[in-house]
Amino acid sequence: MTQETILIGLAGVLASAAPVIFAVLGETLSERAGVINLSMNGTILLSAMGGFAAAYNTDNIVLGFLAGMLIGALVALVVAFASITLKQSQVAVGFVLALTCRDLSYFLGNPYMGEPGPRLQAAPIPVLGEIPILGQLFFRQDAITYLSFISIFLAWLWIFRTRPGLMLQGIGEKPAAAFIRGANVNLMRYVYTVIGGALIGLAGPAYSLAIRAGWMGTISGLDGIGWIALSITIFGGWNPSRAAFGAYLFAFLQWLGLVLQPVFTQVPSQVLQVAPFPLMILTLLLVNIGNAEWVERTLAAMPETTRKILSKALRAMRASPPSALGVPFESE
Amino acid sequence: MKKFFQSEWISRLIDALLPVFAAIAALLLGAIMLFLLKVNPIEAYKALWDGAFGSTNAFAETLVKATPLLLVGLGICISFRGDVINIGGEGQMIIGAILATWVGLNFTGLPGWLVITLSMLAGFLGGAIWGGIPGILKAYFSVNEILSTVMMNAIAVQLMNFLLRGPMIDPSQAELASKIPQTARLLEIFRLPRLAPTRLHLGALIAVILAVLVYILLWRTTLGYRIRAVGQNPHASRYAGIKVQRYIVLALLLSGAFSGLAGATQVFGVNYRMITDGSSSGFTGSAGFNGIVAALFGQLHPILTIPASILFGALLVGANKMQRVVQVPSALVIALNGLVVVFVVSSEFLRRRRQRRRLASARQNDESPPGPEQLKQVESSA
Repeated sequence: MTQETILIGLAGVLASAAPVIFAVLGETLSERAGVINLSMNGTILLSAMGGFAAAYNTDNIVLGFLAGMLIGALVALVVAFASITLKQSQVAVGFVLALTCRDLSYFLGNPYMGEPGPRLQAAPIPVLGEIPILGQLFFRQDAITYLSFISIFLAWLWIFRTRPGLMLQGIGEKPAAAFIRGANVNLMRYVYTVIGGALIGLAGPAYSLAIRAGWMGTISGLDGIGWIALSITIFGGWNPSRAAFGAYLFAFLQWLGLVLQPVFTQVPSQVLQVAPFPLMILTLLLVNIGNAEWVERTLAAMPETTRKILSKALRAMRASPPSALGVPFESE
Repeated sequence: MKKFFQSEWISRLIDALLPVFAAIAALLLGAIMLFLLKVNPIEAYKALWDGAFGSTNAFAETLVKATPLLLVGLGICISFRGDVINIGGEGQMIIGAILATWVGLNFTGLPGWLVITLSMLAGFLGGAIWGGIPGILKAYFSVNEILSTVMMNAIAVQLMNFLLRGPMIDPSQAELASKIPQTARLLEIFRLPRLAPTRLHLGALIAVILAVLVYILLWRTTLGYRIRAVGQNPHASRYAGIKVQRYIVLALLLSGAFSGLAGATQVFGVNYRMITDGSSSGFTGSAGFNGIVAALFGQLHPILTIPASILFGALLVGANKMQRVVQVPSALVIALNGLVVVFVVSSEFLRRRRQRRRLASARQNDESPPGPEQLKQVESSA
């Protein structure tokens, strides 16, 4: 394999991770505020279909992306209303929405099956794109991929370096304390869930108008992406930069699977298709293992030096959810 | 005192009827949607009713659809009571069906009743394995079971696609170009006996018997008590000397086993072969998901899950007829199903809140420590 094909492949990895990045960032914001948006898998499909339909009918690609965001925000609004105002189980509501949105997208998308539609073109940045290697990797992408780079940074900046971001952390960790500090907990939860939903909704058109342009219904291979994004959110420990790393890792592994397919011809194609799932379970296991009780006990029984190294490694991988995740807030 | 009991009784009755009210509310909302589409709602719902209960065949078809929902739902009763959210019903059904089909296709020399029994056990075992893995991951590695069960679904689908297109493919299909992913047909003597001159099969009866057994398991055995105790309060359970991890694994394992059995009965009672279109619902008909809804509708009570699954079986069968007769788009049918689900699930949580509030006010009303009667209430509401 030449350097050129590897570079093209890696640039493709960065582009194909973009939708997952949006979804993961959206979910991170929502969960940081304490609301699990489990509808993600259905939302991505519905916004992919809706975004494509909007762009197809208006012949305006920007409207397509906006339509996707609107769909995501609306679904998130339902989740927020059910979980914040009605204080229902977020898991139940989100799960039901995930199924309903998926089925709806398949049905409503029927007329658009396989239709050729608009597609976002690559927009190389004039000077930066000429830089060898780096230019090819980062600066000859399409607009939505650039947006994914920027949003990782913005989300990180917002959560960890601004005052409202600090409040956001408080709302998810200790809502009662945030309330006393003057935060309108439930309103902020609404706002972050809907903004997060809009970001998740951006993932759909990022597929149907850019990476896998068009709407292919059940064979589009988008079903399941939302669940993967959900585990990447956990893998990312509710931290945008770490979550982005997870998304790129996942896209890289998928690409590796494709590249390796001709090499291992005896291996059935399903093995490579299914590989990301056991890998995700494994990463979840590594992230969570530090929380398990027996691990602590085993560590304590080990000799000093091994224990230090191991517990350091475990702590680096470990991630704990916001304490008030999934718990309704009542100001009393 | 008598008055107190009366109001208590009434408010418990309201609780029990809440899901029914929710379903009616959803159907009323659906009627408005039908009306907006310029369809006569009464006509549409009559078609739905006829499609589900109108004739012996229709009713049998409803029960056939309800059987996997009930089996999956029974498993859900166990796992949700143990506060373990098992969303892996689809995958567990698939693995159960694969193992059962393998037994049915390979032990052709044995008598029919023995092979059927072995296959059902194989289905049970397959589901148990597929549920047990996320159980171990949750109990000993604190991996969120919602995510791991969803991933196990994806793995099961690909495994099914691989086996049904490769090693287990129907030999006659293997030669054709179409290569429909399906196994060979089961021998006539290996099929679950039919209960009437309809498609209704023995699996329905097995499911009802199991519902009673699950009730006994959950409320009349130590195992069931511990599963529920762990679900209610893991910390207190730990201090009471219950090995919490073990019961988390058991809850998921048992839950998976029932889904596996559901998969096996689909093969041995309905299709007589394993067949798919490449997706998970192509084999399961989404029973692994709909069973969750049925169980929630049945308030996570095994006996109440029986009518709940029949209701959802009826919705599935009747909606088809409604779509044909009054020519409504199938999106509406999907939306209607979704509405019922959302309303019912919401009512379940409303019920729990009412219960909690009632218990709190009961505690305020009488200051003496809760007597056996109240303890029993807490127990039964658990």
